[in-house]
Amino acid sequence: MNSILSNKNKVLLTLLSIKGPSFRFSCLRFTLAVKFLRRRTVCENICLNHSKLLQEGEQRGIGLIVGVILRYGTPATSGHDKSLSCTQEDRAFSTLLVNVSGKFFEYTLKGEISPGKINSVEQNDMLRKVTFDPEVFFNILLPPIIFHAGYSLKKRHFFRNLGSILAYAFLGTAVSCFIIGNLMYGVVKLMKIVGQLSDKFYYTDCLFFGAIISATDPVTVLAIFNELHADVDLYALLFGESVLNDAVAIVLSSSIVAYQPAGLNTHAFDAAAFFKSVGIFLGIFSGSFTMGAVTGVVTALVTKFTKLHCFPLLETALFFLMSWSTFLLAEACGFTGVVAVLFCGITQAHYTYNNLSVESRSRTKQLFEVLHFLAENFIFSYMGLALFTFQKHVFSPVFIIGAFVAIFLGRAAHIYPLSFFLNLGRRHKIGWNFQHMMMFSGLRGAMAFALAIRDTASYARQMMFTTTLLIVFFTVWVIGGGTTPMLSWLNIRVGVDPDQDPPPNNDSFQVLQGDGPDSARGNRTKQESAWLFRLWYSFDHNYLKPILTHSGPPLTTTLPAWCGLLARCLTSPQVYDNQEPLREEDSDFILTEGDLTLTYGGDSTVTANGSSGSHTASTSLEGSRRTKSSSEEVLDRALGMGDQPVSSRGTRLVFPLEDNA
Amino acid sequence: MERQQRFMSEKDEYRFQHQGAVELLVFNFLLILTILTIWLFKNHRFRFLHETGGAMVYGLIMGLILRYATAPTDIESGTVYDCGKLAFSPSTLLINITDQVYEYKYKREISQHNISPHQGNAILEKMTFDPEIFFNVLLPPIIFHAGYSLKKRHFFQNLGSILTYAFLGTAISCIVIGLIMYGFVKAMVYAGQLKNGDFHFTDCLFFGSLMSATDPVTVLAIFHELHVDLDLYTLLFGESVLNDAVAIVLTYSISIYSPKENPNAFDAAAFFQSVGNFLGIFAGSFAMGSAYAVVTALLTKFTKLCEFPMLETGLFFLLSWSAFLSAEAAGLTGIVAVLFCGVTQAHYTYNNLSLDSKMRTKQLFEFMNFLAENVIFCYMGLALFTFQNHIFNALFILGAFLAIFVARACNIYPLSFLLNLGRKQKIPWNFQHMMMFSGLRGAIAFALAIRDTESQPKQMMFTTTLLLVFFTVWVFGGGTTPMLTWLQIRVGVELEEELKEAPTSHQEANSLEKNTTKTESAWLFRMWYGFDHKYLKPILTHSGPPLTTTLPEWCGPISRLLTSPQAYGEQLKEEDVECIVNQDELAMSYQEQAPSPCRPPASLSLAQKASPQTPSKDNIYEGDLGLGGYELKLEQTPGQSQLN
Repeated sequence: MNSILSNKNKVLLTLLSIKGPSFRFSCLRFTLAVKFLRRRTVCENICLNHSKLLQEGEQRGIGLIVGVILRYGTPATSGHDKSLSCTQEDRAFSTLLVNVSGKFFEYTLKGEISPGKINSVEQNDMLRKVTFDPEVFFNILLPPIIFHAGYSLKKRHFFRNLGSILAYAFLGTAVSCFIIGNLMYGVVKLMKIVGQLSDKFYYTDCLFFGAIISATDPVTVLAIFNELHADVDLYALLFGESVLNDAVAIVLSSSIVAYQPAGLNTHAFDAAAFFKSVGIFLGIFSGSFTMGAVTGVVTALVTKFTKLHCFPLLETALFFLMSWSTFLLAEACGFTGVVAVLFCGITQAHYTYNNLSVESRSRTKQLFEVLHFLAENFIFSYMGLALFTFQKHVFSPVFIIGAFVAIFLGRAAHIYPLSFFLNLGRRHKIGWNFQHMMMFSGLRGAMAFALAIRDTASYARQMMFTTTLLIVFFTVWVIGGGTTPMLSWLNIRVGVDPDQDPPPNNDSFQVLQGDGPDSARGNRTKQESAWLFRLWYSFDHNYLKPILTHSGPPLTTTLPAWCGLLARCLTSPQVYDNQEPLREEDSDFILTEGDLTLTYGGDSTVTANGSSGSHTASTSLEGSRRTKSSSEEVLDRALGMGDQPVSSRGTRLVFPLEDNA
Repeated sequence: MERQQRFMSEKDEYRFQHQGAVELLVFNFLLILTILTIWLFKNHRFRFLHETGGAMVYGLIMGLILRYATAPTDIESGTVYDCGKLAFSPSTLLINITDQVYEYKYKREISQHNISPHQGNAILEKMTFDPEIFFNVLLPPIIFHAGYSLKKRHFFQNLGSILTYAFLGTAISCIVIGLIMYGFVKAMVYAGQLKNGDFHFTDCLFFGSLMSATDPVTVLAIFHELHVDLDLYTLLFGESVLNDAVAIVLTYSISIYSPKENPNAFDAAAFFQSVGNFLGIFAGSFAMGSAYAVVTALLTKFTKLCEFPMLETGLFFLLSWSAFLSAEAAGLTGIVAVLFCGVTQAHYTYNNLSLDSKMRTKQLFEFMNFLAENVIFCYMGLALFTFQNHIFNALFILGAFLAIFVARACNIYPLSFLLNLGRKQKIPWNFQHMMMFSGLRGAIAFALAIRDTESQPKQMMFTTTLLLVFFTVWVFGGGTTPMLTWLQIRVGVELEEELKEAPTSHQEANSLEKNTTKTESAWLFRMWYGFDHKYLKPILTHSGPPLTTTLPEWCGPISRLLTSPQAYGEQLKEEDVECIVNQDELAMSYQEQAPSPCRPPASLSLAQKASPQTPSKDNIYEGDLGLGGYELKLEQTPGQSQLN
């Protein structure tokens, strides 16, 4: 009895020798290294800005260089391993107190290690320091990126193409996941025959790989589109797809991991487990969606019913904290924080943004822009580092080549058939050149990397990680660099200003002049979008907008008579006053990342607009007619100095006003 | 079986992660509540509770709930394991528990008498931060923001007095508090409350130095809102900012003061070593911070980065952060480096930034400052209940209260007297009383106290510090407005005066500036001003006289290389001094008209057209530039309601 117990409870302590202080410093040094990297990148960007095709690529180049230095420039410190056996306990605690010759030390649980990997843990210590905890990506770096993406969706175009985007994101990702998974399973079988596979690789692993590699991230392509003002619809399709894609891929990969068939053969197909996985997918996705949307709505209500907009700092802080709470809340409830944050961003942009004061709008936009910029560059730098500092790379040429073939086939099988089906329903067809371009811009980026690095415990996962890394490198450098030639080769319209897009332009004029906004809207809606959009739009316009923001028709007119009291209490007083709501305008205020390049490109236009703007402003002042809207005009203009579209729109808005006068 | 276990452990891990999320969520909700409450207070013009005070209240409530509403769990986790074969503490432990290998990371060393409380509440344990977080994450933005928003003209005018208060004053206050506390400790030993030999004189000095870091954020916010006399504001603000830096370095050098034999006896060598350490660290951090800022200034000057505000903001942020990290990596004090980096950035780099970046950086740091400050104060409230090693000692606390008042008095009154001998513009009695009154303690004192809570004296200090912070923030912070009226300090000064002053022509402004330079300030300021104006400004920014005129003949090529083409064109000397507008200065920013190179032409045309109808248009123009923190909007609300 006694011997059994002692046997069972034997605790083996294996030691790695690093003392406390040196440990902290090496951490600091690492942060510093990464930061120098990033700074270099900023400088390089300056040099490159006239031809900045290679932004991210350059980033990674520098990352690689540092990676090489760290790999081969630091001595290995693995000489001090000892293996001792001590006391007794039979479960793992989160903290451990150890008495070492009279001194007490506290240890915290870091994770579980598979027994075979003990030796590889104790390798070069510096490299270990430089390798992050992968959860950092999910908890710190990805949320701002994803939130920013949601917050900067160009909403009008997004909602117009909602059906197509959803189809691409959900169906497309599923299709691509399955195709890649199946192809890779074939490759794995092949490797088994050739004898290159040294460990287990199941079908679920292949599907998992398919899920993580389905998360496209065409940030490079989008930046170029933005700079060249490529077609807005194409931009909206690509951007919307890539954003939702990420969300789908995350949830998909986690539900594939959760696929655990009962019975003995753990990797056979099991219908119950399969449906359970599907259920998990739906549950997590809808849960995260609801969570994000609910906190977005709460923020909108809070900002609507308090006079918080007198204090932009408080408002910004509230906005930030609420958005962050979404993430934490979703994580705490077991949903996916990143997905929740995405939908929170979209909701915030759609409703809360309209309630914010002008200053808070620019503050929040800029804040998230900066966070996004830093986080993204950090991840891409880290990718370069990881190629060399990560210690468990498994390079398998067959697998890598197979993966390359698979992602292209997966992308093709996803874009062309879906586009064909969508074109059956769309008035405004997706042209062949658009389809080719979408096919072409299947870059992989931060999300695929983060998903791959999250779990690198088993052999299969390590191989996947290495392959993912190489795919990201290849796609960003080669495909990212080839975007401009590709655009010209495919004859895609370039230099289209979103505001010179003819139909909506007309439209907003009609709306502004107040002559039959409903008919105009009806026209456009019918023209371009499906019933889904129309239904959503009218619901949004009639109920949600008035409840959550200051704009829209008063609820008293849209709600049925029996809930009059409720309607009166929810409608804000402003709505009655300005029956000429700012419906379309406010939705366009959110701009995408590109204002960097826009400011530069549009210098001459700024002058023109500036003069006309000040002209209108001064006329309105001369006339001592300081109505609210005109002063707002001035506000907008001054604010939008950086962002071209706002100011140009601002000047345009003035004309109807003078007509009225 | 094996799979099931694996599943179990995965679940465990899952739970740990969620615990982290819940922790942060609690803080988030506290902050959201604080924000809403503060809005309510501001809306109704209650001035007695600043947001930091509110954050503390909510922290207290949450701490109370956590303390008494949650049951202690996981009693076993406090068991101590002995391992005779371990001779030292490795950074990573691999533990094999029934064939599952777990990796444990080194966290910290615990002294023996602290072990029993660890068996208690796991949730309380979770809610306790690692104190290094304060120094590495929360304090840097606060301190940088303070440096970045120093009102520079007034600051440099009062430079001599501020330096005196900060250095001499802190030293005096540290020694006085240390001595008084030593007396109290002796009394406690007599009374039998303390064992002899537990509490050394160096511990008392340590307490004195950490207690010397004043942080009158509440008072300053009220001053700001009421537009109290600018000189008083500058004196207080400058003193409190530099104070922190001095106190941090002082604390550090006291803690490393270790005489060879008898820890209680005075040892000249060790003392001088400590002094040398103090000077070395301070100078090193100062150099590090300014060097980074100078690099930033040069980078922004010689690249055309201002065409891309995002990149510019990113660069600015990263370089400022690097100042912190490299100071830490070099063994200096990061916070001090970051402070001087902020001051230098504001003085030079700020002038090179594009208009958009100016706004962005200011707002970014303002926002970070706000969040960090509220988190710290919230945590203070929480720590009163969740920290598990409190030692309340009535005598010590009483002594500390007495000591900080006496020390503050010893700091302010004699120094003011000495300074008044040299100053043209005296510091009047009511200012002195007000400065005496606004000796609040805040974030720095707390962070310094929580950094080391291993030994019993340190725990006692921590408890006392916490109580002192509470008391001073609530009582003094709340009493500021009555105190101001009672001392008859001018209120509402700034706005009207500056408005009158602002639109005067350039030449007038110049002469005015020179006048003030001559009348108000000492030789120190004049010397610095001349050097700065002639050499540093032209080298680091686009303004100032061209270097070719100020430098001697023989370094012609260098000077031509370093002077930016803009400097030849216009002689905008004085304007840029005022470019930094501290949070809500409507009037000042108007002067900023001086065309910085990459300001979009649109705004220029607006500004030029504005000249006929200056006041009204300017108000609009600046209102949305966002110079105003929230107070600015207060000014604007009447106007807006008229508009509506």
